[in-house]
Amino acid sequence: MSNNRVSRRQFLGYTLTGVGGFMAAGMLMPMVRFAVDPILQQHEGGDFVLTDQAVADITEEPVRVDFSFEQTDAWYVSEVTNSAWVYKEGDKLIALSPVCKHLGCTVNWAGDPEQPTQFFCPCHAGRYEKNGQNIPGTPPLGPLDEYEVQEQDGFVAIGAVRDNTLV
Amino acid sequence: MHFIAKEIDQYLNQQDYVDTAVVPLLQLDLSTNGMKPSAGASEYLQTLTALLEKQFKGRILLLPPVSYAKIANRQRIADELSEELQQTGFKHVFYLTTDAEWRTIESLKNVLWLPAIPIEDMDQSFKKSVMEDQLRQVLPLFMKEWSHHS
Repeated sequence: MSNNRVSRRQFLGYTLTGVGGFMAAGMLMPMVRFAVDPILQQHEGGDFVLTDQAVADITEEPVRVDFSFEQTDAWYVSEVTNSAWVYKEGDKLIALSPVCKHLGCTVNWAGDPEQPTQFFCPCHAGRYEKNGQNIPGTPPLGPLDEYEVQEQDGFVAIGAVRDNTLV
Repeated sequence: MHFIAKEIDQYLNQQDYVDTAVVPLLQLDLSTNGMKPSAGASEYLQTLTALLEKQFKGRILLLPPVSYAKIANRQRIADELSEELQQTGFKHVFYLTTDAEWRTIESLKNVLWLPAIPIEDMDQSFKKSVMEDQLRQVLPLFMKEWSHHS
């Protein structure tokens, strides 16, 4: 047995400090959790989606590459399939979004037989150069968006969409 | 564009460009034996029109499917729909359906009748390629209509 006997005053002091500590922690923990929440968030859609298009088969001619991912829209989860026009510029892979900058139709490579080296939007005859630059005099007001793209195990992987960096 | 409030705002600003309405016509058959084919046809029609909307988003307004009972008077539906669409600014109206009875209605122009393909048992990638083949049959009809009167 220890000789340090705890006085009634000390006992009450320890007890109150302990209980107060728990209460303070109970209040502060959620606040801290809320404060750091943005760091802990997982970034949905920011990851690369692997496609079944082999990089070796990509040439300088744009080809359509489809990729699917799950999209959460409030409580509704759906599988969305998007596509990209992928080609090689030297050794660099380039993936352009097929969404027309005019009103959002889907553009096609060489869709207009008279312009075999351009993207063509069938809705209002918008045209784009191979690097996505919109052709003046056609309805689109900006260049096609670009996807981040990388090679994973010999296959094309497509990432987030961003403004065109080629023009 | 879809028939949702946000895209209708955009439509109202861009009426000169969005000059085509697409109306899916869908027959409901809720009898025990008819339910599954009817649901399959609905799935097919809505998948196809969604793909069509994705391709031509900036030029078409896809209306929600007009559903009617088996015994519905097609002629009356046709008349009412065309009257409603007449007061809009659409230059072209397409009706898409899997219901063969519409072929006998003479007063509707541009009714595209497509036999429904049962896509429910196909796996994802096969379904996609089948639906894209279907879409490829429909696209030229739109392009032709647009190039005729533009």
